[in-house]
Amino acid sequence: MSEILTINNLKVWFHTRRGTFKALNGVNLNLRKGEVLGLAGESGSGKSTLGLSIMALLPSNAIIVRGSKIILKNRDYLKYFELFPEEKIDRKFKIKKNQKIMKHIRDFLAKIRGKEVSMVFQEPMTALNPLLQIGYQITEALLAHSSINLAKRILSRINLTEDDVREILKIVKSSKNVEKDLNEFSKLKKLDGIEDQVLYILNRKDLSTIRKERMIYSLKEKMKNPLTMSYLKKIAENKSIGIYRFLNRIPILKRYLKGVLIKEGYRKAIELLAMLNIPHAEKVVYMYPHELSGGMRQRVSIAIALANNPDIIILDEPTSALDVIVQYQILQLISELKYKLNISFIFISHDLSVLAEVCDRIAIMYGGRIVEIGPIDKIFYESLHPYTKGLLRAIPKISKDIKTIESIPGTVPDMRNPPNGCMFHPRCPYVMDVCRNKVPKSIEYSKDHFVECFLYGE
Amino acid sequence: MANVIIAAYNLKKYFPVGGFLFSSKQTIKAVDDVSIKIKENEVVGLVGETGCGKTTLGKLLIRLIEPTAGEIFFDVPEEIIVEYEEALKNKDTKKIEKISKRYSFLNKKGGELRRMRRYMNIVFQDPYSSLNPRMLVKDIIAEPIISTGYASKKEAEELVFKLLEEVGLTPEFAFRYPHELSGGQRQRVALARGISTLPKFLVLDEPTSALDVSIQAQILNLINEIRKKYSITILFISHNISVVHYMSDRIAVMYAGKIVEEGYKNSIIFDPKHPYSKALISSIPRPEPMREKIIINLQGEIPNLINPPKGCRFHPRCPVAFEECGWTADEVFQDIEYIIMRRYAEQFNGIKRIYIEDDFTISVEYEGKNLIEEKLKEVLNKEKQELRSLISIKNIKSESTKIKIELYKFVEPEMYKSKDGINVRCLLYREKK
Amino acid sequence: MSKNIGLIGRRNYLLKQNPRIEELKISFKIFFTNPTAVAGFVITLLYFIDIILVQFFPSFIGISDPNRYIYNFNNPVPLPPSSSHWCGTTAGGIDLCDAIIKSIRIDLIYSLFIVIVGAIIGLLLGLVSGYLGGIFDEILMRITDIFFSIPYLVLAIAILFVLGVSLENIAFSLIIVWWPLYARYARAQTLSIKQMTFIESAKASGTRDLMIMFKHIVPNVLPPIFVQISLDLGTVVGVFATLAFIGFSPTANIPELGYLTSLGLNYISIAPWSVIIPGLVITVFALAVNLMGDGLRDVIDPKRRSV
Repeated sequence: MSEILTINNLKVWFHTRRGTFKALNGVNLNLRKGEVLGLAGESGSGKSTLGLSIMALLPSNAIIVRGSKIILKNRDYLKYFELFPEEKIDRKFKIKKNQKIMKHIRDFLAKIRGKEVSMVFQEPMTALNPLLQIGYQITEALLAHSSINLAKRILSRINLTEDDVREILKIVKSSKNVEKDLNEFSKLKKLDGIEDQVLYILNRKDLSTIRKERMIYSLKEKMKNPLTMSYLKKIAENKSIGIYRFLNRIPILKRYLKGVLIKEGYRKAIELLAMLNIPHAEKVVYMYPHELSGGMRQRVSIAIALANNPDIIILDEPTSALDVIVQYQILQLISELKYKLNISFIFISHDLSVLAEVCDRIAIMYGGRIVEIGPIDKIFYESLHPYTKGLLRAIPKISKDIKTIESIPGTVPDMRNPPNGCMFHPRCPYVMDVCRNKVPKSIEYSKDHFVECFLYGE
Repeated sequence: MANVIIAAYNLKKYFPVGGFLFSSKQTIKAVDDVSIKIKENEVVGLVGETGCGKTTLGKLLIRLIEPTAGEIFFDVPEEIIVEYEEALKNKDTKKIEKISKRYSFLNKKGGELRRMRRYMNIVFQDPYSSLNPRMLVKDIIAEPIISTGYASKKEAEELVFKLLEEVGLTPEFAFRYPHELSGGQRQRVALARGISTLPKFLVLDEPTSALDVSIQAQILNLINEIRKKYSITILFISHNISVVHYMSDRIAVMYAGKIVEEGYKNSIIFDPKHPYSKALISSIPRPEPMREKIIINLQGEIPNLINPPKGCRFHPRCPVAFEECGWTADEVFQDIEYIIMRRYAEQFNGIKRIYIEDDFTISVEYEGKNLIEEKLKEVLNKEKQELRSLISIKNIKSESTKIKIELYKFVEPEMYKSKDGINVRCLLYREKK
Repeated sequence: MSKNIGLIGRRNYLLKQNPRIEELKISFKIFFTNPTAVAGFVITLLYFIDIILVQFFPSFIGISDPNRYIYNFNNPVPLPPSSSHWCGTTAGGIDLCDAIIKSIRIDLIYSLFIVIVGAIIGLLLGLVSGYLGGIFDEILMRITDIFFSIPYLVLAIAILFVLGVSLENIAFSLIIVWWPLYARYARAQTLSIKQMTFIESAKASGTRDLMIMFKHIVPNVLPPIFVQISLDLGTVVGVFATLAFIGFSPTANIPELGYLTSLGLNYISIAPWSVIIPGLVITVFALAVNLMGDGLRDVIDPKRRSV
């Protein structure tokens, strides 16, 4: 499988009044196309910081240490910046200069964020704007990165001829692989975007076949006025929109220019929401976040994350605020999306049981490092690292004869003053002398199963 | 015979909402007609989704909030409880009043209640807001000791150090502020406070939900240790069913303000009876990848407790609901309207309007002489599988230009005893006459 | 057994550090890393040093009579600032520097008295109404509504017309005008703290309502009230001076900033300093106290404390 994201020796620290908080201390990670990677760890293990670093959403007091690499689709985007080397981060550290660097990184990555990587947060109520309609919030995300697609969708409907519709219906009725054939058809006829709209109608469950056919017929739209048409064409061809930027400021004209795109955004939003099993999506787009339940809100956040067809979606504890039943539905949805869209997910959670339901691989984090990473069955049934073993023993399992759960003694290390050597050694039952002085290297114990522990290897 | 620590009967708590000027006052029925009994040294787990009223019930039992209606007994000999239950069954009002007057926990007031508080306490979920940020740990732990009059101020000081040791903290923690402690340490302090007066009954309201897994294990084991040492009866409230299963002897499942199922923990977890518990328990995430799963997927949302569904509160989401489960005309009306006006709109051209006649009748008015009645019957039959509400249709009658759709009357479910000792509030388990 | 460990542990711990002092240290650290707050603090401190000097050691700074202005009728027309009169003189030949130093005392002491008494009344009423709620709360809130609906200066003037002209009456009228503000504020704070689970936890352990109010709520309400006091002090000094300025100062001989400003009013076109300088003294104080209050607000902000 191809790797879509590689992280090398990532160190992210935070400058605070009481010293440097070393959140990440050399993380190595790769993410493959179309997999769900679980990121497990306790609070303070740096799992959320890792997610935020990939998104470049770190706060201004964060320091990315020189030597860190985040390679997204074969582009190392940290290499353009002059980062501070590790030894320079001490008392005389120049906070202001670092803040400037962080701001540059954020600005630079704002273009990538949302288009290639997007994120879903734990608390959907705070991630959504309470004053805007759901549809508008999705449209906003769409306009930021894929207004071309929106324009193409409108044009495809306008350019649709009677013959085209008949051909589409023929494909729908006879073809075995409707999706593929429709794609080919739209490419051949230069009607990009029509296939999504047809598929959406076909996948609707609340309509009879006659109704669906009628809806496909009614996809065809009349020509819009020449101003709007030329604007749409410019956007669809990805040309600079020059004068239209100025025209978009004029209230009445705005309705004919940007307004058309926003309307289309709502249409696309309905399709997205319907794909996420939201009933009555065409009503939901006109609602406000407070009118929805927690599970629905989380679906909307996922819809916003999906809006621009990203390659990676980072889910930061997406189900922790939800009840079990709703949680299960969201987990099911994520597995479904994985197969349907071939997107990679990074699923951050403190709950190993939740990860067990959706992930292909799991990385266990402790003290800002990935101590063990491997395929899901290996982690759960043949775990190697003492910390992983401890975690698994600490979860109460549902079985008829109750085994007492064992806790890991001690507490998470203070990351302002982390222990030497292996971070886990003060709590480890198998601690040896080496552990106190040296940081263990990652060893491939079996295929695809890496562990950072002196108990293994030579 | 052992004492019954808590016995609550037909407990209700309605929170008033709205009611401004001319609009009538509405209530949220957070806890509605709940009975629960906890014997000495028992740990009862209470599970349910957010907003099902489990925390409210926990607070009601120790009278942190006053119930709207119902009866609570605290630490009463079992004979009396048996007597009371019998009186309830026979509707012997005189006897009920006599027993309540003597033993009811709700009759305690003022100083007497304050002294009784020594025998009960509660530990809250969030250790960050349940400890006063401007008090030292020693004052936090000593507060219940002093205010219930369990010991004098001076003795309390010494007790604090003993309690800290009990929960695995060193004495110097006594002189710290809560914000200097980690989440696990705070929860230990909260626990020390909870057991400071050696209570008989402790309500633990999600005591580990805010903690990490490894710390959760520490706290759970600590609770078990303390419980055995001081023989404390516990009501363990949590949405985490694995934890509840680990901690408790019996489990009660709550849904929308009512206990729907209650019994021995293994029978509930491995063989749940109520359709809701079945769905709930099947969707628990388990740390066993590749296991075979039988998942019951629930549609819909948790009902609004201002206007809860009639009959069984679970019926609108229930996959096995049948005609008497509580369907009313407004529910069926919405589905019929959807079918006629949207889904099969092209087949029902002549229909003028659809309206609710009374609680169990819906009328459809139409024009012309179409064969609408037959068509409607056919469509409704076809859609029964997907729209469960349609099963409550008793018959469809034609009256000149009107079709009358009559519904079955619903039955309010009670707690029925199933074979393996589980009490279920579901009509499926009602004894056949 | 536990007795011994407890006592030893306690003693050892106390010798090392006192948690209350640690808390204060952090507070100071936060406050003194904020330059504007420190500037405000230093200026405020200067004003208070002035009060102490005038009250207890007047001769030390060369003031002969702290309780009255010294007229110089040989030169009744205001003179511009010069080496003999640093701030110039105002009508009646009064030396402005000397007059300002004397006047600050009266203004500040009265203003402090107003905010503190107002805050105590407001705190108690707000606390009780917020905690108990119900009809008492309703009545109190409607009363404060009435106070808020009338512009406070107009209300104070109306009260002064009834009571008559004197500095004490100005203070009294301002207390009447000012307490509803604190009552509202204390009530809002009480309501938010009442929601916290530690209050519920205290109730569950049988703590009496009075104890909950004074042991749990007051310590949490007080810090924001203190900040509010420090923010208000500047405004109250201004209002107090304003009332004196428009003629509610009793006799000509009590040194008070508002009255002092009004003295120069007749000469404003030829001697603007006689109005500007006393006015500036009031403004600078208001500004300084405000800056200090902003710094204090940071100190009590839990978010700032934890970083």
